[in-house]
Amino acid sequence: MVSDSIVNGPAPAILKDFAKKKRSNRTAKLKQCKLDARREQWLSQVKNKGCKEESNGEGVSPPPYLRQNDERKRSLNKLETRTRGEENERSSFRDSDLESLENSPSGSILGANDSRKDRPGSSSGSSRSSSSGGCYSGSVSEEEEDDGCLDDWEAVADALAADDKRHQPNSKPPAEPKTPVGLTDSHEPPSKTYGAESLKPECHGTNSRVAANSLAWSPDDACRPQSLPNLSKLHSFTMNTEGHCGRGAVIWACRSIISPPSSCPICFEDLDLTDSSFLPCSCGFRLCLFCHKRILEADGRCPGCRKQYDPSIGDMGVNGVVLPIRLARSCSMVFLSVLLLSCINSVSDWFKDSFSFLGKFVKELMLLRHDGHGSGWKVYETGRSIKYRVNL
Amino acid sequence: MVDFARVQKELADCNRDMAISGVSIMLHGNGNDLSHLSGTITGPLATPYEGGTFQIDIRLPEGYPFEPPKMQFVTKVWHPNISSQNGAICLDILKDQWSPALTLKTALLSLQALLSAPEPDDPQDAVVAQQYLRDYQTFMGTARYWTETFAKRSSIGTEEKVQKLL
Repeated sequence: MVSDSIVNGPAPAILKDFAKKKRSNRTAKLKQCKLDARREQWLSQVKNKGCKEESNGEGVSPPPYLRQNDERKRSLNKLETRTRGEENERSSFRDSDLESLENSPSGSILGANDSRKDRPGSSSGSSRSSSSGGCYSGSVSEEEEDDGCLDDWEAVADALAADDKRHQPNSKPPAEPKTPVGLTDSHEPPSKTYGAESLKPECHGTNSRVAANSLAWSPDDACRPQSLPNLSKLHSFTMNTEGHCGRGAVIWACRSIISPPSSCPICFEDLDLTDSSFLPCSCGFRLCLFCHKRILEADGRCPGCRKQYDPSIGDMGVNGVVLPIRLARSCSMVFLSVLLLSCINSVSDWFKDSFSFLGKFVKELMLLRHDGHGSGWKVYETGRSIKYRVNL
Repeated sequence: MVDFARVQKELADCNRDMAISGVSIMLHGNGNDLSHLSGTITGPLATPYEGGTFQIDIRLPEGYPFEPPKMQFVTKVWHPNISSQNGAICLDILKDQWSPALTLKTALLSLQALLSAPEPDDPQDAVVAQQYLRDYQTFMGTARYWTETFAKRSSIGTEEKVQKLL
Protein backbone atom coordinates (compact mmCIF):
# COMPACT_ATOMS: atom_id res chain seq x y z
CA MET A 1 0.00 0.00 0.00
CA VAL A 2 2.67 2.40 1.04
CA SER A 3 4.88 1.52 -1.84
CA ASP A 4 1.96 1.95 -4.21
CA SER A 5 1.24 5.41 -3.01
CA ILE A 6 4.85 6.31 -3.45
CA VAL A 7 5.19 4.81 -6.90
CA ASN A 8 2.06 6.39 -8.28
CA GLY A 9 2.92 9.78 -7.02
CA PRO A 10 6.47 10.59 -8.13
CA ALA A 11 6.58 8.57 -11.38
CA PRO A 12 5.03 11.23 -13.66
CA ALA A 13 6.81 13.92 -11.82
CA ILE A 14 10.15 12.36 -12.58
CA LEU A 15 9.55 12.51 -16.31
CA LYS A 16 9.03 16.23 -16.09
CA ASP A 17 12.04 16.48 -13.86
CA PHE A 18 14.11 14.71 -16.41
CA ALA A 19 13.17 17.29 -19.03
CA LYS A 20 14.13 20.08 -16.69
CA LYS A 21 17.08 18.32 -15.21
CA LYS A 22 19.50 21.17 -15.35
CA ARG A 23 17.13 23.63 -13.86
CA SER A 24 16.17 21.30 -11.12
CA ASN A 25 19.76 20.52 -10.28
CA ARG A 26 20.47 24.18 -9.98
CA THR A 27 17.41 24.75 -7.88
CA ALA A 28 18.34 21.77 -5.81
CA LYS A 29 21.78 23.11 -5.09
CA LEU A 30 20.38 26.46 -4.16
CA LYS A 31 17.96 24.98 -1.74
CA GLN A 32 20.22 22.32 -0.42
CA CYS A 33 21.81 24.33 2.32
CA LYS A 34 18.49 25.43 3.64
CA LEU A 35 17.11 21.93 3.44
CA ASP A 36 20.08 20.40 5.16
CA ALA A 37 19.55 22.78 8.00
CA ARG A 38 15.90 21.88 8.15
CA ARG A 39 16.78 18.26 7.95
CA GLU A 40 19.07 18.54 10.94
CA GLN A 41 16.25 20.12 12.82
CA TRP A 42 13.86 17.46 11.64
CA LEU A 43 16.17 14.60 12.55
CA SER A 44 16.46 15.90 16.06
CA GLN A 45 12.69 15.86 16.24
CA VAL A 46 12.65 12.43 14.70
CA LYS A 47 14.92 11.01 17.36
CA ASN A 48 12.39 12.02 19.94
CA LYS A 49 9.62 10.48 17.92
CA GLY A 50 11.58 7.51 16.70
CA CYS A 51 9.05 5.17 18.17
CA LYS A 52 6.12 6.55 16.27
CA GLU A 53 7.90 6.95 12.99
CA GLU A 54 9.22 3.46 13.06
CA SER A 55 5.73 2.11 12.92
CA ASN A 56 4.83 4.81 10.45
CA GLY A 57 7.65 3.88 8.12
CA GLU A 58 6.77 0.22 8.15
CA GLY A 59 3.37 0.96 6.79
CA VAL A 60 1.51 -0.34 9.78
CA SER A 61 -1.04 2.41 9.37
CA PRO A 62 -1.69 2.71 5.68
CA PRO A 63 -4.88 4.79 5.66
CA PRO A 64 -3.16 8.18 6.08
CA TYR A 65 -0.98 7.47 3.07
CA LEU A 66 -3.91 6.47 0.98
CA ARG A 67 -5.60 9.67 1.90
CA GLN A 68 -2.50 11.63 1.10
CA ASN A 69 -2.17 9.95 -2.21
CA ASP A 70 -5.68 10.95 -3.18
CA GLU A 71 -5.13 14.40 -1.88
CA ARG A 72 -1.97 14.72 -3.87
CA LYS A 73 -3.58 13.50 -7.06
CA ARG A 74 -6.24 16.11 -6.67
CA SER A 75 -3.77 18.81 -5.97
CA LEU A 76 -1.63 17.74 -8.90
CA ASN A 77 -4.57 18.15 -11.18
CA LYS A 78 -5.54 21.51 -9.77
CA LEU A 79 -2.20 23.11 -9.31
CA GLU A 80 -0.22 21.80 -12.20
CA THR A 81 1.87 24.88 -12.61
CA ARG A 82 2.59 25.14 -8.94
CA THR A 83 3.40 21.49 -8.50
CA ARG A 84 6.10 21.60 -11.15
CA GLY A 85 8.08 23.90 -9.07
CA GLU A 86 7.41 21.86 -6.00
CA GLU A 87 8.40 18.67 -7.73
CA ASN A 88 11.75 20.22 -8.27
CA GLU A 89 11.78 20.99 -4.66
CA ARG A 90 10.80 17.45 -3.91
CA SER A 91 13.56 16.03 -6.04
CA SER A 92 15.95 18.22 -4.17
CA PHE A 93 14.60 16.72 -0.98
CA ARG A 94 15.55 13.35 -2.28
CA ASP A 95 18.96 14.51 -3.29
CA SER A 96 19.54 15.84 0.12
CA ASP A 97 18.13 12.69 1.65
CA LEU A 98 20.46 10.52 -0.27
CA GLU A 99 23.46 12.67 0.32
CA SER A 100 22.80 12.84 3.96
CA LEU A 101 22.45 9.10 3.92
CA GLU A 102 25.80 8.80 2.29
CA ASN A 103 27.40 11.25 4.62
CA SER A 104 25.63 10.01 7.67
CA PRO A 105 28.24 9.71 10.38
CA SER A 106 26.37 7.00 12.25
CA GLY A 107 27.01 4.58 9.44
CA SER A 108 24.95 2.27 7.39
CA ILE A 109 22.78 1.00 10.20
CA LEU A 110 21.38 4.37 11.03
CA GLY A 111 21.35 5.27 7.35
CA ALA A 112 19.10 2.40 6.52
CA ASN A 113 16.77 3.47 9.23
CA ASP A 114 16.83 7.04 8.03
CA SER A 115 15.84 5.99 4.57
CA ARG A 116 13.01 4.06 6.03
CA LYS A 117 11.74 7.10 7.83
CA ASP A 118 12.40 9.61 5.12
CA ARG A 119 10.62 8.17 2.15
CA PRO A 120 7.12 8.16 3.48
CA GLY A 121 7.86 11.38 5.17
CA SER A 122 8.97 13.01 1.92
CA SER A 123 5.93 11.82 0.07
CA SER A 124 3.64 13.12 2.74
CA GLY A 125 5.67 16.26 2.92
CA SER A 126 5.24 16.90 -0.76
CA SER A 127 1.55 16.33 -0.52
CA ARG A 128 1.46 18.96 2.14
CA SER A 129 3.68 21.33 0.25
CA SER A 130 1.31 21.38 -2.69
CA SER A 131 -1.37 22.83 -0.49
CA SER A 132 0.45 24.72 2.20
CA GLY A 133 3.89 25.31 0.79
CA GLY A 134 5.56 23.78 3.81
CA CYS A 135 7.93 20.93 3.38
CA TYR A 136 9.27 18.93 6.30
CA SER A 137 7.17 20.82 8.74
CA GLY A 138 4.25 19.28 6.92
CA SER A 139 5.55 15.79 7.33
CA VAL A 140 6.22 16.30 10.99
CA SER A 141 2.72 17.47 11.63
CA GLU A 142 1.50 14.49 9.67
CA GLU A 143 3.29 12.18 11.99
CA GLU A 144 1.78 13.91 14.93
CA GLU A 145 -1.60 13.18 13.47
CA ASP A 146 -0.66 9.54 13.33
CA ASP A 147 0.05 9.38 17.03
CA GLY A 148 -3.55 8.83 18.00
CA CYS A 149 -3.86 6.18 15.40
CA LEU A 150 -0.83 4.41 16.74
CA ASP A 151 -2.20 4.45 20.25
CA ASP A 152 -5.32 2.79 18.95
CA TRP A 153 -3.30 0.13 17.27
CA GLU A 154 -1.45 -0.54 20.43
CA ALA A 155 -4.72 -0.81 22.29
CA VAL A 156 -5.86 -3.36 19.78
CA ALA A 157 -2.59 -5.15 20.17
CA ASP A 158 -3.15 -5.33 23.90
CA ALA A 159 -6.65 -6.60 23.32
CA LEU A 160 -5.22 -9.36 21.21
CA ALA A 161 -2.61 -10.15 23.81
CA ALA A 162 -3.72 -13.75 23.96
CA ASP A 163 -2.64 -14.31 20.41
CA ASP A 164 0.46 -12.23 20.80
CA LYS A 165 1.66 -14.30 23.69
CA ARG A 166 1.21 -17.38 21.67
CA HIS A 167 3.16 -15.98 18.74
CA GLN A 168 5.79 -14.12 20.65
CA PRO A 169 8.31 -16.90 21.17
CA ASN A 170 8.20 -17.90 17.53
CA SER A 171 7.70 -14.58 15.90
CA LYS A 172 11.03 -13.01 16.76
CA PRO A 173 13.39 -14.87 14.47
CA PRO A 174 11.12 -15.52 11.48
CA ALA A 175 9.20 -12.27 11.60
CA GLU A 176 12.11 -9.88 11.61
CA PRO A 177 13.28 -10.68 8.11
CA LYS A 178 9.80 -9.59 7.10
CA THR A 179 10.61 -5.98 7.81
CA PRO A 180 13.43 -5.71 5.27
CA VAL A 181 11.21 -7.20 2.60
CA GLY A 182 8.65 -4.53 3.25
CA LEU A 183 11.39 -1.92 3.36
CA THR A 184 13.07 -2.75 0.11
CA ASP A 185 9.72 -3.09 -1.56
CA SER A 186 8.63 0.32 -0.52
CA HIS A 187 11.93 1.95 -1.34
CA GLU A 188 12.91 0.43 -4.62
CA PRO A 189 10.49 2.39 -6.80
CA PRO A 190 11.66 5.79 -5.62
CA SER A 191 15.29 4.79 -5.98
CA LYS A 192 14.72 3.85 -9.61
CA THR A 193 13.43 7.32 -10.21
CA TYR A 194 16.61 8.75 -8.79
CA GLY A 195 18.46 6.72 -11.33
CA ALA A 196 16.81 8.86 -13.97
CA GLU A 197 18.28 11.87 -12.26
CA SER A 198 21.85 10.69 -12.78
CA LEU A 199 22.16 9.55 -9.20
CA LYS A 200 22.33 5.93 -10.17
CA PRO A 201 25.50 4.81 -8.41
CA GLU A 202 24.55 6.44 -5.16
CA CYS A 203 21.10 4.95 -5.22
CA HIS A 204 22.27 1.48 -5.87
CA GLY A 205 24.70 1.86 -3.09
CA THR A 206 21.99 2.86 -0.67
CA ASN A 207 19.64 0.31 -1.92
CA SER A 208 22.00 -2.59 -1.58
CA ARG A 209 22.94 -1.31 1.80
CA VAL A 210 19.32 -1.19 2.80
CA ALA A 211 19.03 -4.78 1.68
CA ALA A 212 22.24 -5.86 3.39
CA ASN A 213 21.53 -4.10 6.66
CA SER A 214 17.95 -4.93 6.39
CA LEU A 215 17.35 -4.33 10.07
CA ALA A 216 17.54 -0.78 11.18
CA TRP A 217 18.34 -1.80 14.68
CA SER A 218 18.61 -5.27 15.95
CA PRO A 219 16.57 -5.63 19.13
CA ASP A 220 19.72 -5.88 21.24
CA ASP A 221 21.61 -3.14 19.43
CA ALA A 222 23.26 -0.64 21.73
CA CYS A 223 22.50 2.21 19.30
CA ARG A 224 18.85 1.37 19.26
CA PRO A 225 16.87 4.26 20.74
CA GLN A 226 14.97 3.51 23.89
CA SER A 227 11.84 5.03 22.47
CA LEU A 228 11.51 2.43 19.71
CA PRO A 229 8.65 0.04 20.32
CA ASN A 230 9.18 -3.58 21.06
CA LEU A 231 9.91 -5.04 17.65
CA SER A 232 8.73 -8.49 18.47
CA LYS A 233 5.42 -7.13 19.65
CA LEU A 234 5.12 -5.06 16.54
CA HIS A 235 5.85 -8.01 14.30
CA SER A 236 3.50 -10.33 15.99
CA PHE A 237 0.92 -7.62 15.74
CA THR A 238 1.40 -7.13 12.02
CA MET A 239 1.05 -10.86 11.65
CA ASN A 240 -2.22 -10.59 13.47
CA THR A 241 -3.50 -7.84 11.25
CA GLU A 242 -2.71 -9.99 8.24
CA GLY A 243 -4.46 -12.90 9.84
CA HIS A 244 -7.57 -10.97 10.76
CA CYS A 245 -8.40 -9.63 7.37
CA GLY A 246 -10.34 -12.67 6.23
CA ARG A 247 -13.29 -14.57 7.56
CA GLY A 248 -11.29 -17.76 7.55
CA ALA A 249 -8.74 -16.08 9.71
CA VAL A 250 -11.39 -15.12 12.20
CA ILE A 251 -12.37 -18.72 12.48
CA TRP A 252 -8.76 -19.65 12.70
CA ALA A 253 -8.35 -17.24 15.58
CA CYS A 254 -11.37 -18.71 17.32
CA ARG A 255 -10.18 -22.22 16.83
CA SER A 256 -6.75 -21.39 18.12
CA ILE A 257 -8.34 -20.32 21.40
CA ILE A 258 -10.70 -23.26 21.61
CA SER A 259 -9.27 -26.68 22.11
CA PRO A 260 -9.72 -29.00 19.14
CA PRO A 261 -13.31 -30.26 19.07
CA SER A 262 -14.16 -33.90 19.28
CA SER A 263 -16.66 -35.24 16.81
CA CYS A 264 -20.29 -36.18 17.28
CA PRO A 265 -20.53 -39.94 17.83
CA ILE A 266 -23.65 -40.10 15.66
CA CYS A 267 -22.80 -38.15 12.53
CA PHE A 268 -19.01 -38.08 13.09
CA GLU A 269 -18.92 -34.36 12.35
CA ASP A 270 -16.95 -32.00 14.53
CA LEU A 271 -18.71 -30.67 17.59
CA ASP A 272 -18.69 -26.89 17.61
CA LEU A 273 -18.56 -24.80 20.74
CA THR A 274 -22.30 -24.87 21.29
CA ASP A 275 -22.46 -28.60 20.70
CA SER A 276 -19.67 -29.34 23.11
CA SER A 277 -21.35 -27.29 25.85
CA PHE A 278 -24.64 -29.10 25.19
CA LEU A 279 -25.34 -31.88 27.66
CA PRO A 280 -28.80 -33.27 26.98
CA CYS A 281 -28.66 -36.36 29.20
CA SER A 282 -27.54 -36.98 32.74
CA CYS A 283 -25.47 -39.94 31.52
CA GLY A 284 -23.06 -37.45 29.98
CA PHE A 285 -23.46 -38.61 26.43
CA ARG A 286 -22.75 -35.69 24.14
CA LEU A 287 -23.92 -35.31 20.61
CA CYS A 288 -24.45 -32.50 18.16
CA LEU A 289 -27.69 -30.56 18.21
CA PHE A 290 -28.76 -31.87 14.84
CA CYS A 291 -28.54 -35.49 15.83
CA HIS A 292 -30.23 -34.63 19.13
CA LYS A 293 -33.06 -32.99 17.30
CA ARG A 294 -33.38 -35.94 14.96
CA ILE A 295 -33.60 -38.31 17.92
CA LEU A 296 -36.22 -36.13 19.59
CA GLU A 297 -38.30 -36.41 16.44
CA ALA A 298 -38.13 -40.20 16.70
CA ASP A 299 -38.18 -42.12 19.97
CA GLY A 300 -36.37 -39.46 21.96
CA ARG A 301 -34.03 -41.80 23.81
CA CYS A 302 -30.43 -41.01 24.62
CA PRO A 303 -28.11 -43.01 22.37
CA GLY A 304 -25.71 -43.45 25.25
CA CYS A 305 -28.00 -44.92 27.92
CA ARG A 306 -31.27 -45.53 26.01
CA LYS A 307 -33.14 -43.54 28.64
CA GLN A 308 -35.85 -41.16 27.51
CA TYR A 309 -34.49 -37.66 27.14
CA ASP A 310 -35.63 -35.26 29.83
CA PRO A 311 -37.84 -32.86 27.88
CA SER A 312 -36.83 -29.90 30.05
CA ILE A 313 -33.18 -30.38 29.19
CA GLY A 314 -34.04 -30.76 25.57
CA ASP A 315 -36.05 -27.56 25.62
CA MET A 316 -33.28 -25.73 27.31
CA GLY A 317 -30.95 -26.63 24.52
CA VAL A 318 -33.31 -25.91 21.70
CA ASN A 319 -35.32 -22.96 22.93
CA GLY A 320 -32.38 -20.94 24.06
CA VAL A 321 -33.07 -20.55 27.77
CA VAL A 322 -29.38 -20.91 28.49
CA LEU A 323 -28.41 -20.08 24.96
CA PRO A 324 -27.77 -16.35 25.36
CA ILE A 325 -25.19 -17.11 28.02
CA ARG A 326 -23.56 -19.60 25.76
CA LEU A 327 -23.61 -17.09 22.97
CA ALA A 328 -21.88 -14.53 25.10
CA ARG A 329 -19.16 -17.00 25.92
CA SER A 330 -18.77 -18.24 22.43
CA CYS A 331 -16.84 -15.90 20.23
CA SER A 332 -17.49 -18.05 17.19
CA MET A 333 -21.20 -17.57 17.69
CA VAL A 334 -20.76 -13.83 18.05
CA PHE A 335 -18.95 -13.77 14.74
CA LEU A 336 -21.66 -15.97 13.39
CA SER A 337 -24.39 -13.57 14.38
CA VAL A 338 -22.56 -10.71 12.72
CA LEU A 339 -22.03 -12.73 9.58
CA LEU A 340 -25.59 -13.87 9.65
CA LEU A 341 -26.93 -10.34 9.89
CA SER A 342 -24.80 -9.41 6.94
CA CYS A 343 -26.06 -12.27 4.84
CA ILE A 344 -29.73 -12.19 5.69
CA ASN A 345 -30.48 -10.05 2.66
CA SER A 346 -28.95 -12.56 0.33
CA VAL A 347 -30.91 -15.63 1.39
CA SER A 348 -34.39 -16.76 0.60
CA ASP A 349 -37.61 -15.31 1.93
CA TRP A 350 -38.67 -18.09 4.21
CA PHE A 351 -35.31 -17.81 5.84
CA LYS A 352 -35.88 -14.11 6.40
CA ASP A 353 -39.26 -14.85 7.92
CA SER A 354 -37.79 -17.25 10.37
CA PHE A 355 -35.38 -14.52 11.48
CA SER A 356 -38.06 -11.89 11.79
CA PHE A 357 -37.48 -11.07 15.44
CA LEU A 358 -34.55 -11.36 17.75
CA GLY A 359 -35.87 -14.02 20.08
CA LYS A 360 -36.44 -16.27 17.18
CA PHE A 361 -33.11 -15.17 15.81
CA VAL A 362 -31.28 -16.48 18.82
CA LYS A 363 -33.14 -19.73 18.54
CA GLU A 364 -32.41 -20.13 14.90
CA LEU A 365 -28.82 -19.27 15.39
CA MET A 366 -28.38 -22.62 17.06
CA LEU A 367 -28.97 -24.23 13.75
CA LEU A 368 -26.34 -22.37 11.83
CA ARG A 369 -23.03 -24.08 11.67
CA HIS A 370 -19.82 -23.46 9.97
CA ASP A 371 -19.04 -26.32 7.65
CA GLY A 372 -15.38 -26.31 8.62
CA HIS A 373 -13.96 -25.22 5.29
CA GLY A 374 -14.10 -21.47 5.68
CA SER A 375 -16.16 -20.91 2.57
CA GLY A 376 -19.71 -21.75 3.49
CA TRP A 377 -22.17 -22.12 6.31
CA LYS A 378 -24.62 -24.87 6.80
CA VAL A 379 -28.05 -23.62 7.75
CA TYR A 380 -30.52 -25.92 9.38
CA GLU A 381 -34.13 -24.97 9.58
CA THR A 382 -35.89 -25.83 12.80
CA GLY A 383 -38.82 -28.16 12.57
CA ARG A 384 -37.83 -29.53 9.21
CA SER A 385 -34.21 -30.56 9.66
CA ILE A 386 -33.17 -29.32 6.27
CA LYS A 387 -29.50 -28.82 5.65
CA TYR A 388 -28.20 -26.44 3.11
CA ARG A 389 -25.20 -24.26 2.62
CA VAL A 390 -25.01 -20.50 2.50
CA ASN A 391 -21.95 -19.24 0.75
CA LEU A 392 -21.11 -15.77 1.93
CA MET B 1 -31.04 -40.54 3.25
CA VAL B 2 -28.25 -42.65 4.61
CA ASP B 3 -25.43 -40.64 6.13
CA PHE B 4 -22.77 -41.83 3.73
CA ALA B 5 -20.07 -39.71 5.30
CA ARG B 6 -20.58 -41.67 8.48
CA VAL B 7 -20.72 -45.01 6.64
CA GLN B 8 -17.45 -44.32 4.90
CA LYS B 9 -15.79 -43.41 8.17
CA GLU B 10 -17.22 -46.52 9.74
CA LEU B 11 -15.82 -48.70 7.00
CA ALA B 12 -12.40 -47.14 7.34
CA ASP B 13 -12.46 -47.45 11.13
CA CYS B 14 -13.67 -51.04 11.06
CA ASN B 15 -11.16 -52.28 8.52
CA ARG B 16 -8.24 -50.56 10.20
CA ASP B 17 -7.98 -53.18 12.96
CA MET B 18 -9.51 -56.06 11.06
CA ALA B 19 -6.86 -58.53 12.18
CA ILE B 20 -7.42 -57.82 15.89
CA SER B 21 -11.18 -57.45 16.02
CA GLY B 22 -11.95 -60.28 13.61
CA VAL B 23 -14.67 -58.27 11.90
CA SER B 24 -14.50 -56.52 8.57
CA ILE B 25 -16.94 -54.78 6.26
CA MET B 26 -16.76 -54.57 2.49
CA LEU B 27 -19.08 -53.22 -0.14
CA HIS B 28 -21.44 -55.91 -1.26
CA GLY B 29 -20.17 -57.69 -4.35
CA ASN B 30 -18.23 -55.38 -6.56
CA GLY B 31 -20.83 -52.68 -6.47
CA ASN B 32 -20.40 -49.19 -5.12
CA ASP B 33 -23.62 -48.99 -3.17
CA LEU B 34 -22.77 -47.81 0.31
CA SER B 35 -26.16 -48.92 1.61
CA HIS B 36 -25.54 -52.57 0.73
CA LEU B 37 -22.54 -53.98 2.53
CA SER B 38 -21.06 -57.32 3.33
CA GLY B 39 -19.68 -58.02 6.78
CA THR B 40 -17.39 -60.82 7.88
CA ILE B 41 -16.87 -62.15 11.38
CA THR B 42 -14.61 -64.93 12.57
CA GLY B 43 -16.05 -67.63 14.80
CA PRO B 44 -15.16 -67.00 18.44
CA LEU B 45 -12.60 -69.29 20.06
CA ALA B 46 -13.77 -72.12 22.38
CA THR B 47 -17.12 -72.35 20.59
CA PRO B 48 -18.35 -74.76 17.91
CA TYR B 49 -17.98 -71.83 15.51
CA GLU B 50 -14.20 -71.57 16.03
CA GLY B 51 -12.25 -71.44 12.81
CA GLY B 52 -15.23 -70.45 10.71
CA THR B 53 -15.66 -67.26 8.75
CA PHE B 54 -19.23 -66.00 8.62
CA GLN B 55 -20.59 -63.71 5.95
CA ILE B 56 -23.29 -61.26 6.91
CA ASP B 57 -25.37 -59.27 4.48
CA ILE B 58 -25.82 -55.69 5.68
CA ARG B 59 -28.42 -53.32 4.30
CA LEU B 60 -28.60 -49.80 5.59
CA PRO B 61 -32.08 -48.30 5.78
CA GLU B 62 -32.79 -44.72 4.80
CA GLY B 63 -32.74 -43.60 8.39
CA TYR B 64 -29.38 -45.08 9.29
CA PRO B 65 -27.82 -44.43 11.81
CA PHE B 66 -31.09 -43.51 13.50
CA GLU B 67 -32.57 -46.80 12.38
CA PRO B 68 -30.77 -50.12 12.86
CA PRO B 69 -28.97 -51.76 9.96
CA LYS B 70 -30.63 -54.88 8.56
CA MET B 71 -28.29 -57.82 9.04
CA GLN B 72 -28.66 -61.40 7.97
CA PHE B 73 -26.28 -64.36 7.95
CA VAL B 74 -25.35 -65.46 4.46
CA THR B 75 -23.28 -68.33 5.82
CA LYS B 76 -25.45 -71.07 7.27
CA VAL B 77 -25.12 -71.26 11.06
CA TRP B 78 -26.52 -73.71 13.61
CA HIS B 79 -27.43 -71.31 16.43
CA PRO B 80 -30.59 -70.82 18.56
CA ASN B 81 -30.81 -67.12 17.72
CA ILE B 82 -30.04 -67.42 14.01
CA SER B 83 -32.43 -68.95 11.56
CA SER B 84 -31.01 -72.13 10.08
CA GLN B 85 -33.27 -71.51 7.07
CA ASN B 86 -32.57 -67.91 6.04
CA GLY B 87 -29.93 -66.58 8.43
CA ALA B 88 -32.26 -64.09 10.12
CA ILE B 89 -30.84 -62.83 13.38
CA CYS B 90 -32.66 -62.34 16.66
CA LEU B 91 -30.68 -59.72 18.46
CA ASP B 92 -32.15 -56.83 20.38
CA ILE B 93 -29.64 -54.24 19.26
CA LEU B 94 -30.64 -54.89 15.67
CA LYS B 95 -34.24 -54.19 16.61
CA ASP B 96 -35.63 -52.08 19.43
CA GLN B 97 -32.39 -51.69 21.35
CA TRP B 98 -30.51 -50.12 18.49
CA SER B 99 -28.83 -46.84 19.31
CA PRO B 100 -27.37 -44.41 16.80
CA ALA B 101 -24.26 -44.44 18.95
CA LEU B 102 -23.70 -48.03 17.83
CA THR B 103 -21.88 -48.69 14.60
CA LEU B 104 -21.70 -51.48 12.06
CA LYS B 105 -18.53 -52.63 13.74
CA THR B 106 -20.10 -52.79 17.19
CA ALA B 107 -23.09 -54.58 15.70
CA LEU B 108 -20.83 -57.17 14.09
CA LEU B 109 -18.94 -57.56 17.35
CA SER B 110 -22.28 -58.11 19.05
CA LEU B 111 -23.02 -60.86 16.56
CA GLN B 112 -19.68 -62.41 17.39
CA ALA B 113 -20.63 -62.27 21.06
CA LEU B 114 -23.99 -63.80 20.24
CA LEU B 115 -22.23 -66.78 18.65
CA SER B 116 -20.34 -67.41 21.86
CA ALA B 117 -23.32 -66.75 24.15
CA PRO B 118 -26.59 -68.14 22.66
CA GLU B 119 -29.90 -67.07 24.19
CA PRO B 120 -32.15 -70.17 23.84
CA ASP B 121 -34.91 -68.48 25.85
CA ASP B 122 -35.47 -65.92 23.11
CA PRO B 123 -34.94 -68.10 20.06
CA GLN B 124 -35.05 -67.29 16.40
CA ASP B 125 -34.92 -70.95 15.37
CA ALA B 126 -37.12 -73.05 17.65
CA VAL B 127 -35.68 -76.39 16.54
CA VAL B 128 -32.12 -75.35 17.30
CA ALA B 129 -33.20 -73.83 20.60
CA GLN B 130 -34.95 -77.06 21.61
CA GLN B 131 -31.85 -79.06 20.76
CA TYR B 132 -29.66 -76.61 22.66
CA LEU B 133 -31.81 -76.97 25.77
CA ARG B 134 -32.48 -80.74 25.63
CA ASP B 135 -29.41 -82.22 23.99
CA TYR B 136 -26.48 -79.88 24.29
CA GLN B 137 -23.96 -82.43 22.99
CA THR B 138 -25.87 -83.00 19.79
CA PHE B 139 -26.26 -79.24 19.39
CA MET B 140 -22.48 -78.81 19.76
CA GLY B 141 -21.83 -81.53 17.21
CA THR B 142 -24.27 -80.10 14.69
CA ALA B 143 -22.99 -76.56 15.13
CA ARG B 144 -19.40 -77.74 14.68
CA TYR B 145 -20.38 -79.72 11.63
CA TRP B 146 -22.18 -76.74 10.07
CA THR B 147 -19.16 -74.57 10.75
CA GLU B 148 -16.88 -77.12 9.09
CA THR B 149 -19.23 -77.47 6.19
CA PHE B 150 -20.36 -73.93 5.47
CA ALA B 151 -18.02 -71.53 7.24
CA LYS B 152 -14.68 -72.90 6.09
CA ARG B 153 -15.10 -72.55 2.37
CA SER B 154 -11.70 -71.10 1.89
CA SER B 155 -9.91 -74.10 3.42
CA ILE B 156 -12.03 -76.79 1.82
CA GLY B 157 -12.74 -76.67 -1.88
CA THR B 158 -16.28 -77.03 -3.19
CA GLU B 159 -15.56 -80.39 -4.76
CA GLU B 160 -14.19 -81.78 -1.52
CA LYS B 161 -17.27 -80.51 0.27
CA VAL B 162 -19.53 -82.20 -2.21
CA GLN B 163 -17.53 -85.38 -1.77
CA LYS B 164 -17.88 -85.08 2.00
CA LEU B 165 -21.61 -84.58 1.76
CA LEU B 166 -21.99 -87.55 -0.50
